[in-house]
Amino acid sequence: MQLEVNITSKVYTNAAGERQEALAGFNFALAAGEVGVFVGPSGCGKSTMLRIVVGLDPDYQGRVTRPPGAKIGMVFQEPRLLPWRSVEENVRLVAPQADEATLSMLFGTLGLDAHRSHFPGELSLGLARRVALARAFAVEPDFLILDEPLASLDDALAARLRGEIATLVDSRTVTTLLVTHSVDDAVHLGDRLFFLSQRPSHVIAEVPIHTPRGKRDPAEIKRIKAELARLALANL
Amino acid sequence: MVRLLSFAAFLATWWGASLLAGDQKLPPPPIVLAAVVAEAKSGALFFHLGVTLARVALAFILAMSVGSALGYLMGRVRLADRLGDPWLILLLHLPALVVIVLAYIWAGLTEVAAIAAIAINKLPTAVVTLREGTRTLDATLDEMADVFAIPRWKAFRHVILPQLAPYLAAAARSGLSLVWKIVLVAELLGRPNGVGFEIGVAFQLFDIPLLLAYSLTFAALVLTIETALVQPIEARLSRWRRRAA
Repeated sequence: MQLEVNITSKVYTNAAGERQEALAGFNFALAAGEVGVFVGPSGCGKSTMLRIVVGLDPDYQGRVTRPPGAKIGMVFQEPRLLPWRSVEENVRLVAPQADEATLSMLFGTLGLDAHRSHFPGELSLGLARRVALARAFAVEPDFLILDEPLASLDDALAARLRGEIATLVDSRTVTTLLVTHSVDDAVHLGDRLFFLSQRPSHVIAEVPIHTPRGKRDPAEIKRIKAELARLALANL
Repeated sequence: MVRLLSFAAFLATWWGASLLAGDQKLPPPPIVLAAVVAEAKSGALFFHLGVTLARVALAFILAMSVGSALGYLMGRVRLADRLGDPWLILLLHLPALVVIVLAYIWAGLTEVAAIAAIAINKLPTAVVTLREGTRTLDATLDEMADVFAIPRWKAFRHVILPQLAPYLAAAARSGLSLVWKIVLVAELLGRPNGVGFEIGVAFQLFDIPLLLAYSLTFAALVLTIETALVQPIEARLSRWRRRAA
């Protein structure tokens, strides 16, 4: 197993001084190169879980095991670009080792060729999201964390970006965690779907998808969705 | 063009006022200009301006670097803030004259005492400004730098410093004007050269053309440095903002 997460409990104190349990008994594991997708209600603590898994939040009970020295690429919910650096500088800053060929390939795939020298303030949200994706892939991560990377984009653009993420994920071995509200994202991208409860959050169902991403045509997607519906999970 | 017009208006007002007040109290522009030329010819003007400028530069750099470092530390580390805060408040409210006089008493009438006294006067404003700036740093960008394992010095240069740039600029701006004001007092009280010393001499001799000659060239120097140095740097630092602040 490449990634093993056993969070027994995560409690935090809100601004009013009340203690709230965000996660309780949150366990899952992913093999190297698998894409795990987390689907759950808003505010159920998905981002909290991601922060713990990437090591931003050491204040929890339990254990997270990931290979030491693994390179992490992350797409946050908001793009988190440096507004004072151009698109290209933003990417190069985290990936100083990336050569020109890799970068042109990435910028090409994500349709960012024309925006390399723009500042983030000059970009639409959709473009900024794509820059954040480019940045995460440019580091050639062993771990890729995507926190609702397609939220609040229109359907056509979300579908295109979803395809681009699938291409990039399949181009190399990268263990991926994707958090989303969208069952579409889940069935298009996931190897293993995790459905989450209300808070305190934990995994209530784990559904593996065996069809390779490349072979999921509309009919296959429909079949997977039907199966999820049979499991009464698709409407969570 | 507008600047020239405003300068012309200044000259006209001055000339008019000198006609009303009389040459004794307020000499007209040509007399002051003659004094400037005479001082420039003897080389004294450039010498004294240069000496003052050197003191300003040294005290400014000293106060900015120490003050910024302390401000950053106090913004980041709570203990440092608690320890430093009472001293900061004391220094902020200590009159410049007290600092200068004490510096001359304790360190003698030396160059070190003068520069230290000027720097200490400017220091607390730099600390306060940078502390505020550090408190507004975007934690989400820190997390980004953390997750992507950007090396510390690189994160400081590309993530932290650009956020502090407006605060550094504000500290430099207000600090520079403070230093300009205080340097002359320090020179008047304890240095044998510099614009402040010359103004002291002119005051004792009641030589008003000489006094105005030094005051106005000094003002011109300040204006030149502001427009030629400070403003372009500010503009460059904020070029990524689409609307000028």
